[in-house]
Amino acid sequence: MQVTVKLFAFFRDGRFKEEGREYPAGTVVGDVVDELGIGRDEVGVVMINSLQRSLESPIGDGDVVAIFPVIGGG
Amino acid sequence: MNRLGDFLRQRAASGTIALADAREAAATFRRPLPEIEEQALHLNIMPLRYLRNGLRCQEQLSLVQARVGIIGCGGLGGTVAALLARLGIGRLRLVDPDCFEEHNLNRQRFATIDSLGRPKTESARRAISSINPAVVVEAVVRPFTEADIEAVDIVVDGLDDAGKRLELAAHCTNLDRPLVHGAVRDWHGQTGVATARNRLIATLYPNVREDSASKPPVNVLAPTVTVIAAIQAAETCKLILGVDSPLGRNWMLCDLLEDVFEHIPA
Repeated sequence: MQVTVKLFAFFRDGRFKEEGREYPAGTVVGDVVDELGIGRDEVGVVMINSLQRSLESPIGDGDVVAIFPVIGGG
Repeated sequence: MNRLGDFLRQRAASGTIALADAREAAATFRRPLPEIEEQALHLNIMPLRYLRNGLRCQEQLSLVQARVGIIGCGGLGGTVAALLARLGIGRLRLVDPDCFEEHNLNRQRFATIDSLGRPKTESARRAISSINPAVVVEAVVRPFTEADIEAVDIVVDGLDDAGKRLELAAHCTNLDRPLVHGAVRDWHGQTGVATARNRLIATLYPNVREDSASKPPVNVLAPTVTVIAAIQAAETCKLILGVDSPLGRNWMLCDLLEDVFEHIPA
């Protein structure tokens, strides 16, 4: 299935801002994170089609997945 | 009070009063300077230092009467404290257990060669007294407690640890205090106003618990800190003045590499 993945802040470094990618049926957001080489503990907000979801949420054909990093410094 | 009022009216030129005259009133009537300036604002006389804020006396009085707690007084917290002092927030409670270290010098407002090894909040209090002597600053050198939140109207998040942020947000929710959040890393920052309704901090840190182990310190650039702290100070001011803000409904991500600010629904 075809999924649009959007990355934010330093997750873009060495990757991309937005890209169409192919994933098999049954893929969850955490699988996308793993495939991109992002540590799951580095992930903050994730959204599917602008609604907040979790790493365990399944994604479907045509979905837009947005992945934001944890930003914690002060 | 009438004699003080007469004194202030007599010294007020074009509806403003200079610091030297306010100090003379404080000495003559044996009152603290903040009380003198508050009284002037009640009489529609603007302390000269606030003239270019462009606010009405009643609005400036709201700022002068406000109590803001700044939890964490390093990068974000220190810069927010300096900005709120210039705006004229009357009471600042600064809470931080730490002393300045050399690696703070790249970004922390009150970190100087002379302040190394000294408590951050004490250094901030001293510096603020020369920015605005009419601000009452409480410098608290210990980790925050619920009592710190109870003592103020609005809380500013200057922490650098997600678990502690959740703990702070829990206190703010319990006591119904808005929490003006900010966080930074490298060229990126985020900010928003957390309330009991939007549960913003839990949204931003979904995989963290209050007792989660602290992460190693992250890299932060001074411009990122300054931008996010400036937005936190503006949001604090708007909360006090009752000005509606998009950051009451959204959080904002700031990318200084791309010069992009994005609102994301809270």
